[in-house]
This record gives sequence, structure tokens and C-alpha cells, in this order.
Amino acid sequence: MKHRMNISLRRQIDRYSFQLLLLGAALIAVLPFYWAMTLSIRDPMETFTVAGLAVPFVQFQPTLANWIEELSVGEAQRALTNSSIIALGTALGLMVLGTPAAYALARFRFRRPSNQNLILWFLSQRVLPPIVTVVPVFMIMRQLHLLDTRLALILVNITFNLPLVVIIVRQGFLDIPIELEEAALVDGANHAHVFWHLSLRLAVPSLMAAMLISIAYTWNEFLFALIISSRDAVTVPVHMAGAAGTRGIQFWFVGVRVLMAMAPPVILAVLAQRFIVRGLTAGALKG
Amino acid sequence: MQPRTRIKLLFLLPAAAWVLVWTIFPFFYGLWLSLFHIDFGGEDRFIGLDNFKRFFSDRNALNAVKITFLFVLGSVTVQVILGLLLALAANRPLPLRGLVRTMLILPLFATPVAVGFLFFTIFYEEGGLVNGLLSIKVPWLSSPGYALIAIIIADTWQWISFCFLILLAGLQSIPDDVYEAAALETRNRWKIFWHITFPYLQPTLVLVILLRITEAFKVFAIPYTLTRGGPGNATLVLPMYAYRAGMRFFDFGYASAISFMAFVLVMLFIIFLFRSIRQAY
Repeated sequence: MKHRMNISLRRQIDRYSFQLLLLGAALIAVLPFYWAMTLSIRDPMETFTVAGLAVPFVQFQPTLANWIEELSVGEAQRALTNSSIIALGTALGLMVLGTPAAYALARFRFRRPSNQNLILWFLSQRVLPPIVTVVPVFMIMRQLHLLDTRLALILVNITFNLPLVVIIVRQGFLDIPIELEEAALVDGANHAHVFWHLSLRLAVPSLMAAMLISIAYTWNEFLFALIISSRDAVTVPVHMAGAAGTRGIQFWFVGVRVLMAMAPPVILAVLAQRFIVRGLTAGALKG
Repeated sequence: MQPRTRIKLLFLLPAAAWVLVWTIFPFFYGLWLSLFHIDFGGEDRFIGLDNFKRFFSDRNALNAVKITFLFVLGSVTVQVILGLLLALAANRPLPLRGLVRTMLILPLFATPVAVGFLFFTIFYEEGGLVNGLLSIKVPWLSSPGYALIAIIIADTWQWISFCFLILLAGLQSIPDDVYEAAALETRNRWKIFWHITFPYLQPTLVLVILLRITEAFKVFAIPYTLTRGGPGNATLVLPMYAYRAGMRFFDFGYASAISFMAFVLVMLFIIFLFRSIRQAY
């Protein structure tokens, strides 16, 4: 009897220790977001006078003044517009370029080079450190008179995300039962027709995953935005870095800008959680 | 050409051409540039391998190699171990598992530049979150050692969920009957982990480690904003050093050479990576 109780007690402890570990990790994951929020609604005078966790209403009277001030700055608005246009333009370009390639690699057989080598070739772009192409891309964009344009940033972001899109969407096509497509082909449809009317529609979840992930990555991209944009095409991350550079790091504005920058990709991640987990793991486990 | 051949090329070629134009061409163009002394306004001068020779006698460059290695080693080790621990904890039915997972995913897509600035305020020595909350006085940003640790912590905060998610998916793909069979043999959890879970998980684990290593070698935004490479050169990783040479000193030839050295270092790991995932196709 006593023995049995011990086992059940041990199980309880086991269970709760796992729970606690996960809960602790989850709290640490969220804490910095909370900290940014409480910084952003604090009066600048109170930046360093409020101690510890800085709970709004309890330890200080929150204010929206910092938000209003930051969002009324022309550069901040322009950065938000630029980042949105660049992210959406990139997603559109990726859809057009990446989806057919993903379909080809899922459904057609290539001999020389083989499908496997083609996939690895696409994948190899992802592991190339981006710094390697920074200088040449800068020179090319200068030659093309594309420096400080949104188009240039759309072009480089398509390049970065193309492998990811090809891998994730290819997996999506592979998951469609091939019998459906074969039946349509037997009925006399050609491959382009099957692709457009059948496969593309069935692969929507993986397309969504690929698009959302590349929108988030494009929104977050910093290195190339930093070298290509100087005024007209400045994105949110570059705006953040620039503002801190000229005015010093003002905590209250840092709080606002951090949340402003992080909100779109983080909200996308939460909304599309199921897709993203699947996309990331398909992209990683299967290549 | 057969219609079938034509259509499959039509589907694949645009993407393949894109990669050729925007990745392969810049890659070789960069290699070509690294053989020159490039002078804005003046003539470019062909100098052969001098930029690479300079790299090996440049104390700051060699220091950047060391810092990069320390960063990669530190952050990948911590992230994989903690990610595995969390994945093991979450690989069972638990109340609130969905909520906890959502919370853990949040940092993964947070803008790295913003992460850098945010952790600047968190590690700020007077009135920052960490020192304030724990009532300690750690010189997070002014001591070289702690500055590197601060960067590793910020990077870990962001990437731990990547390790967690992939390892959890790996754990969940282990068939239940394997565990049931093992339960007949022993109740020792450690034994089950070591003899069942670990061998099954090994390919996933290797993949996660290699993906994180190649990703960690790209680190730029977090040190750029959190420490600006300092104090001194204590957190000046290779990508930042190359960026500085190119964009601040306009020494494009040397910047290209530094970038290629970063590429050579990461290549070593990439070869491993490809070998281990080749079987997946």
C-alpha cells in the first residue's frame, strides 16, 4: 500500500515538474514582450524610477503619449508602408516563381541533374551566409540604379525565401494523393491544366505556410535593407536602427518601436501557428 | 521537344534562372571582387590574393573568427540542450499544452533588430529588467565576457523554440509500440531515454544542430543593435566585421575577402549538413 502511494506521489511530482519547467520557459518567452509594453506606456521621466516588473496602474500611471508621438513621425509611417509593400511584393513574387518549381520537383522526374540534386541546389542558397553577397548585390543594384528602392528589396527577399518556399510547397504537392491528378490526366487534361485547377487548390495550406513564413522573414530582414535603403525605401528594422543612432537609445520609444516592428510577424505566427509549425518542420525534417 | 519535357522545364526554369542571376552570379562576382583593391573614384587594382593574406595577419579579423566560434558554440549548445529538455517535457498530454506552445513560439518570429534593442533595455545596467528584478549588478554590456553572454542569451531567447518545435515533432514521430515494448523490459526512465528515445531522435538532433550552426554563423542584427560589436571588439562577429570593412570604410575588396572566409568556415558544417539530409530525399 505504502509502496503504491510512493509511486503515485512520484508520478505527481514528475508531472508537475514537467509542467513547471514548461510554464517557466513560456513565461520567459513572454516576459520581454511584457517589458517592451510597460516601457512603451511609461512617462519618460519614470524610465528608471520604477523598479522591477513595472506593473502599470500599480507602480505607475500608464500613458499613450509615446505611441502617439512615434506614430505621428513621418519616417515611422513611411517605414511601416515600405515594409508592408516589400513583404507583400515578395510574397507575390515567390508565389509566381516558387510554386511551379515546387510542382515540377514534386511531380516530374528530372534526369540530369536529378530531382534530389536540384532540391539540394535550391537548399544550398539557404545556408550561404548572406554577408557573402552583400557587396556584389550592392554593386549590382548601383549599376541598375536600384539603390534605395523597394523593388531592389523585393528582389533580394525573393532570392532569400525562394528555397524555403520551394521546399515547403513541394512537400504540400507530395501530400496530395497522386491518384486524383492521374485521373484528371486520363480524362484528357494536360499538366498545366491539372496544376492550375486541381493541385494548386489542394496545396493551399502549404502555400499559406510558405507565404506567411516568407512575409515574416522579409519583414524582419535587416542586413540587405541596411545597405540598400537610405531614405525612400527604409524599412521598419532600418528605421529602428537609424532612430537609435541619431537620437540615442530612448527606452520609451524603444518600447514602442519594438512592439511596432514585432507585432506583424508575431501576430502572423500566432494566427497561422498550425501552418507554421508544419511548414518549419517540413522544411527542416524533410530538407 | 516532347510536350511533357517542355512543360516540366517551363515550370522549373524561372526559379532556377532566378537563383543563377541573384545568388550564383553575385557569389562569383564577390569572389572576383575579393581579388581587387577597390577604390571609389580611383581605378580598381588587381592585387591577387593580397586581401586574403591581409586577413590572416589582421588581428581584428582573427579575433572576429574567435568571437564567431565562441558565439556559435555557446548559443547552439545552450539552445539544443534546453530545446530538447522542453520537447521531452512537452511530449505527453498536459493541460494547457497548446497555450504553452503558443507562448513559446512568439519569440521565433520577433524582428531580430527589435530583439537587440529590447535586450539592450533588459540588460541595461542601471534600471534594466534583469539587474532590477534580481537585485544584482552584473555589467552585462560593459564587460567583454558578459556582453558575449548577453548576445548568446538574446539569441537563445529567439531560437530556442525552433529547436523545441523540431525536436518535439521528432519525438512525436517515434511509434508508441516501441515504448510499449520497452516498458515490458524496464521502468527506468533514463534507460528508456538512452536506449530508445535517443537513437530514434538522433537524425533529428543532428539536423537541428547543423541547421542552428549554419544559422548562427549568419548572426548580425542582434550584435549590431545590442552591443554594436563592443565593448571594444568583444562581440564583433565576422559578418559585422565584413560589413564594417565594406560599408563604413568602403574597402569592398577586403570586405569580400572577409565574407568569403566566413563562407569557408560555414562550408565545413554545410558539408556535414547535406550529408545527413541527403537520405531524406
